[in-house]
Amino acid sequence: MSKEKNEELKYPNNVRQGRRDFLKHVCTSSAAALVAATTPTEAVDDTSNPDADITVAEYFQGHFLLMSDEEKKQAIARLEKRYSAQYTKKTTVSDAPAPEGVLFGYALDISKCIGCRRCVHACVKENNQSRHDPEVQWIQVMKMPKGNISFTPDQLDKGYPEKSEFGDYGVQVGGNAYKTAGLSTEDAQNYYTDDTVPDKDFFYMPVQCQQCEKPPCVKACPVRATFRDHAGVVLIDYNWCIGCRMCQLACPYHARRFNWGEPNLPAEEMNPKTHYFGNRPRMRGVMEKCTFCVQRTREGRNPACLEACPVGARKFGNLLDPDSDVRRVLATKRVFRFKEEYGTYPKFFYYVG
Amino acid sequence: MHKDIKEVVMVMEDNSRRSFFKKAAAAVGVVAAAGYTKTVISRSSASAGDAGAKYAADVALQEKAVTGNQLIVMTDDEKKQRLDELLNSHYQELA
Repeated sequence: MSKEKNEELKYPNNVRQGRRDFLKHVCTSSAAALVAATTPTEAVDDTSNPDADITVAEYFQGHFLLMSDEEKKQAIARLEKRYSAQYTKKTTVSDAPAPEGVLFGYALDISKCIGCRRCVHACVKENNQSRHDPEVQWIQVMKMPKGNISFTPDQLDKGYPEKSEFGDYGVQVGGNAYKTAGLSTEDAQNYYTDDTVPDKDFFYMPVQCQQCEKPPCVKACPVRATFRDHAGVVLIDYNWCIGCRMCQLACPYHARRFNWGEPNLPAEEMNPKTHYFGNRPRMRGVMEKCTFCVQRTREGRNPACLEACPVGARKFGNLLDPDSDVRRVLATKRVFRFKEEYGTYPKFFYYVG
Repeated sequence: MHKDIKEVVMVMEDNSRRSFFKKAAAAVGVVAAAGYTKTVISRSSASAGDAGAKYAADVALQEKAVTGNQLIVMTDDEKKQRLDELLNSHYQELA
């Protein structure tokens, strides 16, 4: 019997069960299963079980900024559908772009802040943060002894190398040479439990994301999930974040919060007006932080913390506009900067009125 | 002739049995891999129980970071310089 004939008898109807064929079949079936798992997202309209097919599609979602308009629309629709079902209320996810001709800045009057933490609670409520175990807070209010702040207004320009009749040797003399004109956060209490505020012997300093112009967190992100928008606000694409926490390590102000567990957001407390890069509900394993309430500010409104402040200690505005509140503060008030600069150029200013 | 047919039938039988075992082994492999993956995933979600400790560690780090700072008052020149740097950086980004 010839070799050819033998082959025909061995594999009737040309069906060869080689290892390669078998692997081919396995790969094809796997690919088919994967496609089947991702495609029904748009086709199925049932919101009863939103977590099955939609989360798979979300898992394979690309970076939002790099998506086509059609893909963005699909991603937004998918999220709205899932959140609406999950929180049993009509939820909108905006993807409004950053306004043109704007560079957002923030200023906070330390002498006015009474440490009531209304800004903290307003922020938690507005931005759909985890409510318990633990409550995630983007703003941290520090309570410090009044002795920590000291400066003499008439000597503010002193303490720098001065020219003398003997020549300019860069020697620091007089004024603030041996005493810092400003404030120190040493001995600050972060979690005070006072029944009444303000405590007369203390002052208060809320700390949140400084929205740096040159943010180290953005440089540290290996997947560019965090970025700075045209208006100067540092944002995060939660779906693209891989949870490596490099940004958290890079931030000198420790303004970023990581979701170690699934955030606990009761449906009745969920704010349904959300933004893709802002207050939409986050998932476990992603980073989050203050966004200057991007869902509000991109629509021309003020951040929630500013609106909640009962003493008007907070100012927000466009740094490009000389008549804005922030620019006025910069022009007329005593404004602080961190002694250790880090070269990050924060757009969040502390001042004394 | 009779012997040839018998041989062929034996070869086919042997072949199909072998392919059956191959498929069975592959199926067992896939199921085992899926099981292992599930175990790994559920183990990581089970460890979410100690998430509280991790949150607490984060908070401790934050406290340490924000309590060692000093802020100094900017002079008018410094304020102007800071503003110029911010605006220049912004316009450079846009360009």
